[in-house]
Amino acid sequence: MNRKLFVATFAASTLAACSSDAKSALTDKVRDQLGWAENLNRVVIGTRGNARVYSDADVDRVVRVNGLATPSDTRYADAMRDDWRAYRLPVDGLVDRPHTYTLAELRAMPQLAQATRHDCVEGWSVIGKWRGVPLATVLAMAQPKSTAKYVVFHCFDKDDDGTEYYESLGIHQAAHPQTLLALDLNDAPLDADHGAPVRLRVPTQLGYKSAKWVRRIELADAFPNTLLSKGGYWEDQGYGWYAGI
Amino acid sequence: MNDPKPGDRVYRHSFLARTAHWAWTLAMLVLVMSGLQIFNAAPYLDASDKSDPTHRVLAFDAHMNASNQPVGTTTIFGHTFVTTHLFGYTDNGQGGESERAFPASITLPAVQSLADGRLWHLFFGWVLTLAIVTYLVAAAIRKDLRELILRPSDLPKLLPMQLYYFKLRKEPPPHGKYNPLQKAAYTVVLFVFIPLIILTGLALSPGIDAIAGPLTWVLGGRQFARTWHFTLMSILIAYFCVHMVLVFMTGPVNNIWSMITGWYKLRDHDGVGV
Repeated sequence: MNRKLFVATFAASTLAACSSDAKSALTDKVRDQLGWAENLNRVVIGTRGNARVYSDADVDRVVRVNGLATPSDTRYADAMRDDWRAYRLPVDGLVDRPHTYTLAELRAMPQLAQATRHDCVEGWSVIGKWRGVPLATVLAMAQPKSTAKYVVFHCFDKDDDGTEYYESLGIHQAAHPQTLLALDLNDAPLDADHGAPVRLRVPTQLGYKSAKWVRRIELADAFPNTLLSKGGYWEDQGYGWYAGI
Repeated sequence: MNDPKPGDRVYRHSFLARTAHWAWTLAMLVLVMSGLQIFNAAPYLDASDKSDPTHRVLAFDAHMNASNQPVGTTTIFGHTFVTTHLFGYTDNGQGGESERAFPASITLPAVQSLADGRLWHLFFGWVLTLAIVTYLVAAAIRKDLRELILRPSDLPKLLPMQLYYFKLRKEPPPHGKYNPLQKAAYTVVLFVFIPLIILTGLALSPGIDAIAGPLTWVLGGRQFARTWHFTLMSILIAYFCVHMVLVFMTGPVNNIWSMITGWYKLRDHDGVGV
């Protein structure tokens, strides 16, 4: 065999071996080992600094929609009736002052409007002007107990298997001044596809952290036990809980 | 002591250099393959901050042609090429073909899985970063970098060395352990290409953008950082190909053996020292 052919054959067989290994799927053990990088990233990068704020001229008129379909749940349809008059947002769990908000109450609170970039884990990005209540305000009013470590967002949407969407942030990430309970996008109330009436906006992390159609905010000392417990819908599908990178 | 002569065996690569070399090799193989897997999730590159099809420099697509056959295409700076089976419409790792920029044979994992691709990529990103930082710090302390870094005095020797490679000159210019072109190549890869591919990867992350906004801004924004990251990968793959050609042209067994054991048999015109 001449050298060129040998090199080509060697390269091809190496690649074939890699692909058949990968085809047999990573065992969860390998995934757990690789997952150590996430712990490093969470500590080293963490949630520091502020996401860039854009001017109105940078804003995309059409903000791309991704993820699960708009909820078909009857609870969502009920809440939507009569201009969201039936919508309720309980903030409960490990807090001293649980409270259930109406949409009117949320709208009456001090609002923050910011054009920020939404960075999708897939690799694309879009700029929207988001307006809503800083989550820090809601947390301050709820007075989390000292045992509360996570803020868990329960949502209206479900996937085809009926699994409910949920997401979670560490208390520190949740209290970041740019983390919003967004009510408006581009100067209009959120439409159903973009997460009406209340969605999370976390501009310091990848888009899948910004849960749409939030129906309950729970403070917890651990991820919810009833679900797969990796801290979110996409996390349970193998994506990292820390999504700053 | 006499200077070593051609044919002598010399201890040429330190344990540090050998370990770092193979760590980079493994890390870059995993990073390229998992990177292509991640790229497949959004198979286009923009020269802009946010995604912007009017600033698209590279895109892979698939469509059905008039006779209802799938066609894969690659569009570079607005010029579209049919690349069915190679790029755009390729092997999906499940016994068939799909709309998919890069084929299963060169992605990690082979089947489409952005979540698993990210696990590999973010882990080996740390391996590459720690390996290059450890090497550069330790090699600087050991003063190993002196024989590796291109100096101003090497510049006039670059052209004569290239002429020698092209067989337009009988003898290479006198040099130390590495010839001036090797020094240029190793200096650029260690101090420019690898640091830049790490920085451009970081710059496209929202957490890093929040901490080091000027980094993302200097690169032209998030999507542009992704474009630079991909471009640097292409440069490093080209670098790897040239590296392979030269390894095989200048005694592959001796070269590879020396990168495993450290011991190298000096060839004609090989030098030692700075």
